[in-house]
Amino acid sequence: MSGAQSIVRGLEEAGVTLVASVPDTWIGELMATVRGSAKIRALDVAREEEAVAVACGANLAGGRGAVLIQNAGLLNCGGILAGLVELYRLPCFFIVSLRGDHRDPVYYHAPKGRVTEATLQAWRLPHAVADKSGDLAAQVKRGVEFAAESRGPFVLLVSGEDLA
Amino acid sequence: MTPRKPFLDALVALLTPQDVLVSCLGANARWLPHMKVAAPVFALCDSMGAAVPLGLGIAMTRPDRHVVALEGDGSLLMSPNVLATVAAAGAPNLTTILWVNGHYESSGGQALPGAPVSWPALARASGIAHVATVEEPAGLSAGLAAARRAPGPAVLVLPIAFDPAESIPPYSERPEEIRARFRL
Repeated sequence: MSGAQSIVRGLEEAGVTLVASVPDTWIGELMATVRGSAKIRALDVAREEEAVAVACGANLAGGRGAVLIQNAGLLNCGGILAGLVELYRLPCFFIVSLRGDHRDPVYYHAPKGRVTEATLQAWRLPHAVADKSGDLAAQVKRGVEFAAESRGPFVLLVSGEDLA
Repeated sequence: MTPRKPFLDALVALLTPQDVLVSCLGANARWLPHMKVAAPVFALCDSMGAAVPLGLGIAMTRPDRHVVALEGDGSLLMSPNVLATVAAAGAPNLTTILWVNGHYESSGGQALPGAPVSWPALARASGIAHVATVEEPAGLSAGLAAARRAPGPAVLVLPIAFDPAESIPPYSERPEEIRARFRL
């Protein structure tokens, strides 16, 4: 089973019903696997803030939403995280591609890689970096459950290597 | 041009317990707690642009309910991309009602950038097939009924008068209260 398949299995086992996404190369690959799920509806949105609101709407309506975006998109989401997710205390689970860290071969992502985890800390967003040497499905399930139980956000950072 | 409140009164009178109402921040969100609304209400007090995608998430999760999302022209101008998302998602149980007064009413009544945006044309160009302009509150009944029957998502555009003297009540519900009361 590939890492992408393990992640989607984790989403399924956590009861996620709707995934909203803006792709990059890695997230696009992951979404291709999501689209193969019989349990999860995949929704392409035009901008990352929309994905957050869609996921929150799914959660409010009794489903479970998740957001799949790149770290550049997460950096766009400060306003809606503060004004919707945190203000209304809504669960919102993110899988975010960590572009620009030491594992990323594409040079122009490096500035995003330098600020991503520092921004998550500054925004006080609970987060973890996926570890492919462990059980990726379990890491996803823990993140979804954390968001649900804390009624707030949780961000799981993934690399392209995690999806192979 | 008609003021806001008669439009809002007319809309609220048309909603049933099987509907869901999502409101953007601003005057509508501030009026709603003071009105008797048959449908569950989720009203925003921040997050410009979130009402329509929030409504979309609800609509996709609960296809048995009709979701009415209220949005302002200032909010939509900030994130018009959502129209394409809504069109692509194709949820027939989502009606967006766009309140057009050309002003950022919540932040002191500043004017929007002075471009003559055609909101119906923008919605159609984004792929939404059912778009209608409702000029008077009396037209809302037929307009909403047609939106409910549409095979895809609908947008209703309401041109309203900007009234800096409108006695809008303050936000009178806390976000925790709004979320706790929202039950489908």
